[in-house]
Amino acid sequence: MRILKLIWVPAVLYAFLFAGCAHGPQAVSTSAPQAESLQLRLVSDTTGSEPPDVKAPESPSPYDDYTDEEESLDYPEEGAQADLGKIADPIEPFNRAMYEFNDRLYFWVLKPVAQGYSKVVPESARISVSNFFSNLWSPVRLVNCLLQVNPMGALTELMRFWINTTIGVVGLFDPASSEEINLQAQDEDFGQTLGFYGVGQGFYIVWPVLGPSSPRDMVGRIGDYFAYPISYLDPWYVWSAVRGYEVVNDVSLRIGDYESLKDAAIDPYVAMRDFYVQYRQKRVEAKGTKPKPVGESAETRPSPTGPMDRIFPLNREEP
Amino acid sequence: MKIRFVGLGLVIIFLCSSPAHAGAPLDTVQVNSNKVLDVLRDPKLKPASAKEIKKKKLEVIYAEMFDEVELSRRTLARNWNKLNDAQRKEFVHLYHQVLEKAYADKILSYTDEKIVFDREAVISANMAEVYTRIITSSKEIPIMYRVILNDGTWRVYDVVVENVSLVQNYRTQFNEILAKNTPEQLLEILRKKVKAS
Repeated sequence: MRILKLIWVPAVLYAFLFAGCAHGPQAVSTSAPQAESLQLRLVSDTTGSEPPDVKAPESPSPYDDYTDEEESLDYPEEGAQADLGKIADPIEPFNRAMYEFNDRLYFWVLKPVAQGYSKVVPESARISVSNFFSNLWSPVRLVNCLLQVNPMGALTELMRFWINTTIGVVGLFDPASSEEINLQAQDEDFGQTLGFYGVGQGFYIVWPVLGPSSPRDMVGRIGDYFAYPISYLDPWYVWSAVRGYEVVNDVSLRIGDYESLKDAAIDPYVAMRDFYVQYRQKRVEAKGTKPKPVGESAETRPSPTGPMDRIFPLNREEP
Repeated sequence: MKIRFVGLGLVIIFLCSSPAHAGAPLDTVQVNSNKVLDVLRDPKLKPASAKEIKKKKLEVIYAEMFDEVELSRRTLARNWNKLNDAQRKEFVHLYHQVLEKAYADKILSYTDEKIVFDREAVISANMAEVYTRIITSSKEIPIMYRVILNDGTWRVYDVVVENVSLVQNYRTQFNEILAKNTPEQLLEILRKKVKAS
């Protein structure tokens, strides 16, 4: 019985542990969709089956036709490609099945556990736990800042680690993020580093338990694993338990986020996929995290959680 | 002497700021967001029974703040052209309801959150981006609004939460649906969604 438990619990946790793969989609598609959309435009230019897009701009009715020019104004950095942010999904049937599986895992196991936990432990304590783990993710962020030739980011992480480990009582608090010090965690991970050097996402893949990922982000996750001190805990079930606890604690801080994404979606699977792609892409594009604008500002800022981390609780990784 | 300078300064400020956008995009977002907060914090509307009243009030603010047609057009993008006029009107209506169902309760659940209005970035003569943050006890959520000037009023047509664009997220979903279905079938899916939730 005991042995069974020993195996089962870590097995589930194991999954969480490895779950960091929130890493990025991104430029995978930059070149291909570009060509595609160009082609599309060419085709529509020549077929002429559609009414010409150029309407008298003087009296536009809000219900007027949509033009590609609007798209490029809208998202200047993306040009006229509505397709950017797309990711290949060759194994969609498998992914959809895994999405269903993870959905149930969340509602049947993870959420009840996290809810029970948050009834016992007050929010402030859970935030501190989250800060503590976030502090331990510093090496991952620091290394990836360096790999992305961002010495300021690396320095910021170094200072943060020092401040939060000392003044912040082994990382339980995050004074470095306060308004006075304003050293924000640099949201970098190895998946982003690969993206930084032009590695594309490849294609979309949903792992059971781990959630949305891609070949690039999977590699990224493995890289991060080695830079995360908790990974070196021994024996393995201690590591599993700690990592599992980290996940439950994080989920307890954002119950409801996945639910709202799901409720708002017409096709939750596609909504999630797009979410993942957009989120990872923007994170690759963003070089580090800028200091907060001065002015009125936050009191406490626990760990840097992005929407992915909240929405894919299983898929959480700190950087 | 000093007073003169102040006077001159004021004149210059007025001169410079008179044309259409002197922070007008940011105002749109800020003024309306503050109205929302007023509704949420109104002690008279505290009881649970006042929920419907609050929703009504939010609806009015939403109509002022958002450019629904623009939002719909940009969500459908090229697919917008596949819909005829009647379908477009119905789409705008249904999309509105989908969003309302999805977010009204969420917004009503906010109480002591704080909103910070950071800055606006002008993209072109009639477009801008407004950067804000919502600060809760445990997290801070950056929200960027894309605003457009139509008929002399700045209105929101896209909300970007933590770098994820609402318009683009729905666009991906609708694209996928319209790749395999007719516009009429899309409308039917939306009708069901609105009824179901």
